[in-house]
Amino acid sequence: MIIGLQLVAIVFALIMIYFAYLHYSRGELNGVEVLSWLIIWLSAIIIVVFPDLLRTFAQTFAISRLFDLMIVGGFIVVIPMIYISYVRTKRLEKKLEDYIRKETLKQTKK
Amino acid sequence: MKISIVIPAYNEAKNIGLVLDSLRREKFPIVVVDDGSKDKTFDIASKYVRTLRDLTVLRHKVNLGKGAALKTGCESAILSGAEGIIIMDSDGQHRVADLPKFIEVLNGGKYDIVFGSRDINMNMPLVRFIGNKVASALISFLFGIYISDLICGFRAFTKTAYRKLNLKSSNYGIETEMVAKVGKLRLKHCEIPVETVYYDKFKGVTILDALGILFDVFIWKIR
Repeated sequence: MIIGLQLVAIVFALIMIYFAYLHYSRGELNGVEVLSWLIIWLSAIIIVVFPDLLRTFAQTFAISRLFDLMIVGGFIVVIPMIYISYVRTKRLEKKLEDYIRKETLKQTKK
Repeated sequence: MKISIVIPAYNEAKNIGLVLDSLRREKFPIVVVDDGSKDKTFDIASKYVRTLRDLTVLRHKVNLGKGAALKTGCESAILSGAEGIIIMDSDGQHRVADLPKFIEVLNGGKYDIVFGSRDINMNMPLVRFIGNKVASALISFLFGIYISDLICGFRAFTKTAYRKLNLKSSNYGIETEMVAKVGKLRLKHCEIPVETVYYDKFKGVTILDALGILFDVFIWKIR
């Protein structure tokens, strides 16, 4: 039987699938990107509905509770994503700054 | 030495005219960089081009931060032939009467960079005062340079020093980066007292900005 917390997780995953589709429709994500997100969120739904699928995996890493495995796994996924996002934002900021400043300096009287 | 004054400005429509009026008697070229202001800062500053002979007004199309505006202003001044640069804020908190002190030190040739230091008795908000002193102590510990007023925007430096500093910050961290790099590169520096009037307590470095700068300080130490 699906309990409340699982239901919340499924609804959240479905909303995220909708957002992936929305951004795909607006042309902000390409086909490969939207497919990747679809696979990620469908995998999340499958794990939430059938958590026992991960039991063998958890035993391999000597993690006794499935919930602990999900927490550790979540951190392992989220931290690199934040880092990649940070680096990309920094890179974009730098490009924008260089462009704007270069354009502005063209107005200088020499 | 050919000296230019660089003034970065953001949403300073109320004050930029007063600042430029106060500089009317000075003979130095002035560069105002409007950092993508939402108000009439650029239009007001541009009106002074007719009356101030050597005024250049530049505009960032997008707001990039004080550091970016300062770098644009300094590079513009150097492109126009400046060998020394004086930077001052656009909110009118710095006194034109202090300019000769900077000019005298720059022309003396003994120092690469001159830091203005505000008198702590001049109504500096308490939080800003404590933050400033803690940051000065940290910079002193990490870079071996003690500047009593780390974030004062009234400074002067030579073109060579500016080139050596190779500043990277695009925000309020630029003043701290300048001090850290002066310490790291062992540039010759001195401090001179300047007068300051606080018109707006809500402008300037916020606690969040300060945390970002603190993070950058450790990055500058490693690099």
